[in-house]
Amino acid sequence: MIPEIGNVFLIFAFSISVLSFLSANYSYYADTKIYDLSKNIFLVFFLLLASFLILEFSFLTDDFSVLYVANNSNPNLPAYYKFSALWGGHEGSLLLFVLIISIWMMVFSLLSSYTKIEDKNLVLSFCYLVLLSLLGFIIFSSNPFERLIPIASMSGTDLNPLLQDFAFTIHPPILYFGYAGLVIPFSLALARCFNVKEGWTMHIRNWTVLSWSFLTLGIALGSWWAYYELGWGGWWFWDPVENSSLVPWLLATALFHSAVVSNSRKIFNNWTILLSILSIIGCFIGMFLVRSGILTSVHSFALDPERGLILLLITLMITLYSFFIFFKSDVSDNNSINYSIVSKEYFLLINNLFLVVLAVIILFGTVYPIFYEIFSGGKTISVGAPYFNLVTVPIAFFLAFFQGYGVLTKWSASPNSIRTFSITLIVIIFISLTFSYLVFNYLSLFNVIGIIMVSSIIGGVIISALRTIDNKKLFFSALGMNFAHIGIAVTIFGIGVVSSHSSSKEVILEIGESTTLSNYEFTLIAEDFKEESNFYSQIAIFQVENQNNGKTFDLKPEKAFYPSSRSIMTESAIAITPKEDVYISLSERLDSGEWIAKIQTKPFVRFIWLGAILMCLGGIFSFSRRLLFR
Amino acid sequence: MKQHRKNRIYVILFIGISILISFFLVFSALQENINLFYSPTDLQNNPPMSDKSIRAGGLVKENSLLRNKDSLKINFEITDLKNTVSVTYEGLLPDLFKENKGVVATGYFYASTNEFVAYEILAKHDENYVPKEVKKALE
Repeated sequence: MIPEIGNVFLIFAFSISVLSFLSANYSYYADTKIYDLSKNIFLVFFLLLASFLILEFSFLTDDFSVLYVANNSNPNLPAYYKFSALWGGHEGSLLLFVLIISIWMMVFSLLSSYTKIEDKNLVLSFCYLVLLSLLGFIIFSSNPFERLIPIASMSGTDLNPLLQDFAFTIHPPILYFGYAGLVIPFSLALARCFNVKEGWTMHIRNWTVLSWSFLTLGIALGSWWAYYELGWGGWWFWDPVENSSLVPWLLATALFHSAVVSNSRKIFNNWTILLSILSIIGCFIGMFLVRSGILTSVHSFALDPERGLILLLITLMITLYSFFIFFKSDVSDNNSINYSIVSKEYFLLINNLFLVVLAVIILFGTVYPIFYEIFSGGKTISVGAPYFNLVTVPIAFFLAFFQGYGVLTKWSASPNSIRTFSITLIVIIFISLTFSYLVFNYLSLFNVIGIIMVSSIIGGVIISALRTIDNKKLFFSALGMNFAHIGIAVTIFGIGVVSSHSSSKEVILEIGESTTLSNYEFTLIAEDFKEESNFYSQIAIFQVENQNNGKTFDLKPEKAFYPSSRSIMTESAIAITPKEDVYISLSERLDSGEWIAKIQTKPFVRFIWLGAILMCLGGIFSFSRRLLFR
Repeated sequence: MKQHRKNRIYVILFIGISILISFFLVFSALQENINLFYSPTDLQNNPPMSDKSIRAGGLVKENSLLRNKDSLKINFEITDLKNTVSVTYEGLLPDLFKENKGVVATGYFYASTNEFVAYEILAKHDENYVPKEVKKALE
């Protein structure tokens, strides 16, 4: 009975969304006044929250008459994981997604004020459009409340053991906050096409920055999770699922930089609108790729080709609808603005161009196998990670390189600043080459590239902070941006070092045997066994000695077995030292009693995620400062 | 020429050149880094060049897994129920690697010895999931 109530709430929310969208459009075309649509959003939010909680209730009470619960939970699962199992599959994660969209709409309508209620209604109506298409999708083809009668088993299948992890409780919600937040700039941009001009660029910038912060954190959490949970120490695999989160991230990054120009200079307006639309389409394409199973991915949690088709139709519909509005609109720029080749406008143009090109080639590499299969008559291919490394590194290099100087430029700067620009370029390259030679004693292209990127960004941030140190207002207004830029440098530093200075070794050890890697000596000293409510595991205990300072510590990697799903999991053991991670994962135990293990050192790998946290904090700081002191 | 017109030409030139460069990058990178998929039957009927990295997939044949003593070398056979190909691999196997389960390996095929030397065995996250290439190979 209770799940049916949840279903009714969903249908209510859907109906209200349809009505809100239609009435806002009717009132626009018929030019009649309607009531304030932002009141509806509270109702929609509470309905969605209620049906979310009802589904949670079914999970926590092991109601296996609900098909979705039966497929994704198990009575032996700890209550904590039963809670997060709700977003372990397609239907539930979609419900979480629409709930988060409604939260964004509510927060947006609470925090933004419009002089004309019709304007706000119109902005919200486009949010409702996205909401109603996803709600319709849930109700008609992905209903989480669908019953399984007669009940097939009293035990349920299980939550995939990979998902029984802390990171899984926070990674999807935060990532979804990132994706869903892009609904707001999308709606603002479409509303701008209908001449809702009030503060549109400011709103787009602020709300994109906020959702970008969540997106950054969400992607970083996913990377961190893959690092320790997949068991083999990789932090990025160029997997279709990862790529489809990176594409919206790049587009959103381009979007708020472009919105800065539109806001201050009243140019790039059409470009900002286009990027707002592309960002949300990027999210939908990503959702389609992830959920349809059209690409072979290591992530395969929620696949169904038929639902993929519906998602593709929704994506197409939203694309056509928004482009129709965009091409019919008449948005013009301020034509009297002139800017030189070393002006802030020009550098932000470069930033946008490179970010969008990067997004396009990553998306291209990701979907290329689909088109190849169609046009070659069924031959399947995969695009390897080297492709992505080869095409992204040069573009990322130019992005970082220009970023450092870009933050120092002024609006519409005069041509004579070209000289300062060239001097800075030469100085950066010179310092980087010397630095690389002094630190590594040799010049490798990879090191030099990395050092130029990092030093250029950090140099730019420091100089621009020093310039404004006397002016409190300017200093604080750039603080969020500077934080985020340093975050990018920190991430690049981590990526550079971990890609070039990691070491790894695969070994077979019996108890008492030892091996060395880098400056550590690893000894397998004992074996152990433990049993938990829903799994048991074999443990190998390693004693690790740092040969530089004689310190020792123990690492206890595990091999876990989950009986309900009959699956094996590699639980790696990681020791975090200031400089590097020491990482052990077990492969298998041979009949002879020997263990096959992979041992690795990962210098500065934490910097990759630390940088993402800095970016996220910078974004949130920037958003809240603008909100408080506008 | 007026300054802003000059600037516009710079902008267009710049955009054009960067798009050309990225096209060049993309296509040269694609040439070398796509891996075609072969089922054991495909390998039999039209074997690829042995210097070209490919992917091969199917089921891991029952009782075919052999482990070398004192090294990480592994031999097993991939079958699509019509043909089989023997695979050698040195390294760690993913957790979901089991006999009679689907597998996709990346590596080089030597037609003269009918041997596939893999450098990567695809790991999957879910034991119910069969890669769609494998599904097709078994049809």
